[in-house]
Amino acid sequence: MAKILIPTPLRQYTEKQSEVSMPGATVGEVLSALTTRYADLRKQLYSDAGALRSYVNVYVNDEDIRYLEKDKTAVKDADTLTIVPSIAGGSTLVAEPQLATELTQEEILRYSRHLIMPEVGVEGQLKLKNASVLLVGAGGLGAPLGLYLAAAGIGRIGLVDFDVVDHTNLHRQIIHGTKDVGRRKLDSAADRMRDINPNVKLDLHEVALTSENALDILRDYDIIVDGTDNFPTRYLVNDACVLLGKPNVYGSIFRFEGQATVFAYPGGPCYRCSYPEPPPPGLVPSCAEGGVLGILPGMIGVIQATETVKLIMGIGESLVGRLVRYDALEMRFREYKVRRDPECPVCGDHPTIRKLIDYQQFCGIPQQVTTRGELDVTEVKQKIDRGDDFLLIDVREPHEYQIACIPTAKLIPLGEVAKRLNEIDPDAEIVVHCKSGGRSARAVEILRQNGYKNVANMRGGILAWSEKVDPRVPKY
Amino acid sequence: MLAHAEATYPDECCGVMLGAVDELKLVRVAVPLENVAQGSHRARYELAPEDLIRAEREARTRGLDVIGIYHSHPDCDAYFSETDLKNSCPWYSFVVLAVYQGRFRNANSWLPDAEQTKAEKEEMTWPKS
Repeated sequence: MAKILIPTPLRQYTEKQSEVSMPGATVGEVLSALTTRYADLRKQLYSDAGALRSYVNVYVNDEDIRYLEKDKTAVKDADTLTIVPSIAGGSTLVAEPQLATELTQEEILRYSRHLIMPEVGVEGQLKLKNASVLLVGAGGLGAPLGLYLAAAGIGRIGLVDFDVVDHTNLHRQIIHGTKDVGRRKLDSAADRMRDINPNVKLDLHEVALTSENALDILRDYDIIVDGTDNFPTRYLVNDACVLLGKPNVYGSIFRFEGQATVFAYPGGPCYRCSYPEPPPPGLVPSCAEGGVLGILPGMIGVIQATETVKLIMGIGESLVGRLVRYDALEMRFREYKVRRDPECPVCGDHPTIRKLIDYQQFCGIPQQVTTRGELDVTEVKQKIDRGDDFLLIDVREPHEYQIACIPTAKLIPLGEVAKRLNEIDPDAEIVVHCKSGGRSARAVEILRQNGYKNVANMRGGILAWSEKVDPRVPKY
Repeated sequence: MLAHAEATYPDECCGVMLGAVDELKLVRVAVPLENVAQGSHRARYELAPEDLIRAEREARTRGLDVIGIYHSHPDCDAYFSETDLKNSCPWYSFVVLAVYQGRFRNANSWLPDAEQTKAEKEEMTWPKS
């Protein structure tokens, strides 16, 4: 008979006993005996489908049965079984659909100068309280945005950033202080925003926004504010906003000039309508390359913050369809009409972009690939033609060799490479190929690990060879 | 519990409540426990089963019962979140303490159902000084 310790809340089902003994050779049998004897206990421990409930953990002595053999775990007479609930939680994954319908006394005081303007009033302030805004970037534009949107009483603000505060940020990114150098911008910005307004709920996303995560992150917010400093992310934010139907409050800065507007508002233009193509990489310098007047992002970020709260409250005339350009040296604002392009590939009448694409590639930014130790098929052909002294190894299987081969190649299937090193001269120049380049890359690794220094992979394998060198070699 | 929640800010704290269930549930002792959730504790807590077993034992030696679990929500209201619900257990009352800027603001008590689909709010009072 194994002993079972019953947790307090379940003792009402065991005639108030804190310990009971039950027969059985396994945990499953013991529990079965227990829940047969005390039938009401069954509902507490097992779901209707007969599985142990997710919050029920069973320990045999000190061991959790999940790490033993679950309900088949053997039980001896001297063993003690303990039933322990598993308990966890947390404030995120908020399931709080109810909207706030009133302001607290503290909020009434805090927002008093808003409330006494009839254009805002309690109604407008409640809209701000029930709104959620995502700031992409906690840098130059993100700084004034974070400060003012927190102060304005936006209910929930998300921040996306993965950068760390450094000294060169301080002349413009006023949400961060000198003491914050070296900290995550997220933490530094969050501290400042909490200090300004502890009512604001902050979501910190320490990620680079990518095509993989953008929709999931943006989906949770009413309005997206673009404070990015690069073209790939700007197109990504734009496209994601169009696809999700969320307004994109846009701003950008360059040296002494900045611009702002609202993109992706229903019926209005998107960023691509105005800028269908990104500039060639390197043409438009970043702040780091071209410099920027430290005050400039304050001006543009504050325009974005203003547009954001206007959109939320539904007051005034928004920048939808109008692009404001600001020149700090002239101290002049100019306004340009921007229209939705019916031919726009993402927001037009017949969109061709229906999901997020590779924005690095779209913006012509070369991918980081290791090309070290790789040869193009044409280079290999030249080596053969020149009569270079090198060993070409084909690491495919013999049946593949039969289908198509490069005649000068020596066949050593990948699985045999390590065993047949004696056939490979350690001082030779070696080029390895397979069908498309994957297996040969592994072979290159194996050879390098075994001390071969001069080893290269033939990029694209025999398929590339057929494509670019010798079309008579069949593709398979 | 308030002190524990404030001291643990900006992380979530957690612990058990020992007391007795009569017509009312009366909390006599709060036992702070370690938050063993992996990763950041800003918005997560988890109790170690060993700690719960120990708390049970502790309760018994004092002639009390474990009647509930408490945890804090830093900069967040005292609602029972989806995460709370999905990792809850209907055997206990769950008290959630909202702590804003390191200061306790309010608390609610929740009683989840067996299927982890909803939690009922329980009326709760506590000494205010």
